[in-house]
Amino acid sequence: MRLHFLERTIDGLHAGLALALDAENSAAAGGLLQQLDARVKVAGLFSLILAAALATRLWVIAAVFALAVALAALSRVSFRVLATRVWIGALAFTGAIALPAVFLTPGVALYRLPALHWPITAQGLTTAGFLLLRVETAATLALLLVFTTPWMHVLKALRVLRVPVLLVAILGMASRYILLLLETAHEMFESRKSRTVGPLAGAARRHVAVASSGVLLSRSLQLSGDVYLAMQARGFRGDVYLLDDFAMTRFDWLALAAFLALAAAAVWADR
Amino acid sequence: MHIPDGYLSPATCATLFGGAVPFWYVALRRVRKALHTRLVPLVSLFAAFSFVIMMFNLPLPGGTTGHAVGIGLAAVVLGPWAAMLAVSTAIVIQALFFGDGGITAIGANCFNMAIAGALVAYAVYRLLAAGAAIGSARRVVAAGLAGYAAINVSALLAAIEFGIQPLLYRNAAGAPLYCPYSLSVAIPAMMLGHLTVAGFAELTISAGVVGFLQRSDPSLLQSTAGRAAALGETAARALRPLWAGLGALLILTPLGILATGSAWGEWMARDFSDPAARHEIAASSFHRAAPLRAPEGLARWSQIWTAPFAHYAPPYIRSATFGYLLSGMFGAGLIVLACLVVARLFGANRTWRTHSCMPRPHSCRRPASAGPAGVEKSLDTARTSACATSKEPAT
Amino acid sequence: MMLFETTDLTYSYDRVTALDRLNLSIAEGSRVALVGANGSGKSTLLRILDGLNFGQSGTVRFRGEPMTEAHFASDEFAFSFRRQVGLVFQNPDVQLFNPTVFDEVAFGPLQLGWSKSEVRDRVGETLDRFGIAHLKDRVPHRLSGGEKKRVALASVLVTDPAVLLLDEPTAALDPRSQSQVIDLLVEWGGGAKSVITATHNLADLEDIADRCLVLDGGLVVAEAAPAEILRNRELLERSNLIHAHRHHHRSGELHSHPHVHPSE
Repeated sequence: MRLHFLERTIDGLHAGLALALDAENSAAAGGLLQQLDARVKVAGLFSLILAAALATRLWVIAAVFALAVALAALSRVSFRVLATRVWIGALAFTGAIALPAVFLTPGVALYRLPALHWPITAQGLTTAGFLLLRVETAATLALLLVFTTPWMHVLKALRVLRVPVLLVAILGMASRYILLLLETAHEMFESRKSRTVGPLAGAARRHVAVASSGVLLSRSLQLSGDVYLAMQARGFRGDVYLLDDFAMTRFDWLALAAFLALAAAAVWADR
Repeated sequence: MHIPDGYLSPATCATLFGGAVPFWYVALRRVRKALHTRLVPLVSLFAAFSFVIMMFNLPLPGGTTGHAVGIGLAAVVLGPWAAMLAVSTAIVIQALFFGDGGITAIGANCFNMAIAGALVAYAVYRLLAAGAAIGSARRVVAAGLAGYAAINVSALLAAIEFGIQPLLYRNAAGAPLYCPYSLSVAIPAMMLGHLTVAGFAELTISAGVVGFLQRSDPSLLQSTAGRAAALGETAARALRPLWAGLGALLILTPLGILATGSAWGEWMARDFSDPAARHEIAASSFHRAAPLRAPEGLARWSQIWTAPFAHYAPPYIRSATFGYLLSGMFGAGLIVLACLVVARLFGANRTWRTHSCMPRPHSCRRPASAGPAGVEKSLDTARTSACATSKEPAT
Repeated sequence: MMLFETTDLTYSYDRVTALDRLNLSIAEGSRVALVGANGSGKSTLLRILDGLNFGQSGTVRFRGEPMTEAHFASDEFAFSFRRQVGLVFQNPDVQLFNPTVFDEVAFGPLQLGWSKSEVRDRVGETLDRFGIAHLKDRVPHRLSGGEKKRVALASVLVTDPAVLLLDEPTAALDPRSQSQVIDLLVEWGGGAKSVITATHNLADLEDIADRCLVLDGGLVVAEAAPAEILRNRELLERSNLIHAHRHHHRSGELHSHPHVHPSE
């Protein structure tokens, strides 16, 4: 029997909350990346993502991927976490998208499917490989950042990429209330579920989803009005200031140099 | 709908990011002007909301389920500029924190969904709901269609971006480096899903929630309801950076091709002039598979595009790629242009400038007070009074 | 000169009158409790005293200066007021709007223009004093009720305001956290500071206030020392602060006595 739609939404919301919790715990664990300044990680991991994006040879992307996996191991981010959070999902999604390309891309036919006579081309395999490897590499690196750095440090470190301070503040406040609204939505669906016996008809299910969104919207806007007052009460006049306690150690500089050198090496090897 | 890393080339991503920046700039300035210090909490909370409803599993007619982005809803409640900022914020958090949508593709995703989506949704809503009462059924229909149109335009833009990848970026052996599907595959594939499932998810949430708000909190629908007013001098001036940005986008894109065009040109030359390579391609694609058709399409497009430049243009301009790209760019440009025309026809521009971002101050809650100070004040009253007596949510 | 003084202050919304020609004066250095049931207008009054909402008619004065919207439009007045007066909201989800505890406590000082090194030192000191240094990088969402309240207090007290406004400081807390919060407040208010607390929790009244104003229907209906108010059963029942429960005893007699809800 199909899973109850309320349950599926609840599961989705729960997964969001669980990810945030996992990330927080993992960022607090000791490991190589956890020790680094957040700015080094943002700049370093981003340059690796860029190197993987620019590469035109499969082995270069594979090397960056291997580097990402090694970094994960050194930072106590388990392969189980990587597999469940990134690898399997990306493989399923991008794999499904890349599969037809194996047959559709013009090129040298390596093999023909029996009966259908579809050619598997070398170019098709390569292009599917590019897509999959790039997706997995970038997603792994992105997860490493979030799983080894407290979220607010990630946001503050975005300042090194010249993100305006106002946007950093908005991103911070939005993430703070995402957790609250996720939980509110979770509670709404749970309480709805407890009052529902048996499967709902399609229209009724739609009605539940839409009404919940409406309630959530009203609540969000109310909250924004109240938060605005609370900000004013502490002297907010429209200007945003951020305080970070980032401090670069010699190890941080070393790590930054290593990141940039590796990214540069990847680009150079790709010439 | 969220484009992951690896599907678009860094050059495409950079171009779209460059195209998004002026919109963000204008949006920030306008919203800041209209909302003053209220900007941060309002945009943050709405971003959080739109993030959360993207996780809702929406049951659709026919037994499927889909996820909505909430662009239509954002544009109807906040107006296009604040909606752009809120949805962009949600997209950035999704990419960075949840790995949903690529980090290099942030600019592309924001451009497609937050920017083009919000403008289209707002234009459609204003067009269809013009003159309708706040509680009228026409507003519900208009909001639904606004969401439907917005998500489909976003999908079309994404499909165009996907479709130009294999034309521009291939390795020496001719294997596409990024998205492997040409326009003839990418557009139908993307649109099929969006014209049906995703479009209806967006339609359901926009129409449904607007209907819900009509009953529970109609003041939230006031700000974008709008009345006719002429396009002011200041509005035109405020839009200047936007035009500059669009201009920059139009210039930057061909530059991107110049940088990569030679590589593509080589590939074209080699594969289509070298008889051996041609033989290979012919041999491998002799069946009913689609690839053969792509070059035909290419040629046709190429003819359409190169006609006006036939004799004096440099060779790269005559290339089909350039034609594709420009048509893609013109597509985006036309959308924006259409929005502005609609806005002008319906005198929406004044509303965009001043009232687009919050429930209209003089709503039912309190007698109107004139002047900008009054606006701020009565808004406060309305909002706080609504919550002053409400119970604290269980924690 | 009075710290706060209101004359005929009226505030209404949605055709509901929250404050109805309210007159009160609060002296410098006093510890005052605003007591009233839900909807008696005490939250509204606190927000007006903090210059966040403004009455439709009547006047409010802070140390003799009128508190109007026009006054708060000037940065000079606003900053000087915000430096002296702090408000702790009832709902911790409203009070704690920053993504981490550290940012929360640093928000006020940064807004008031302190230097970054000063802010850093002071925030560290305050986190230690409130026993929340270990929560520094935590998101407020995952704190317990008691922890949230301590962070909320720290975020306001970090700038050491001379006047503290508190909206239901012990609401929705377990008994142990309640007494911790009261201890913190008693300790902090030891000097010549002014504390105005809105509450319907009568149990803490004598710890947090020297004087009590009972609000009902947007008006001050009584004003006296806490002990005296607590003795006045009739008044408390009339203002919905206590209510009688009737129950049968084994012997068959019907018995009724007033009953207080310490926190809701």
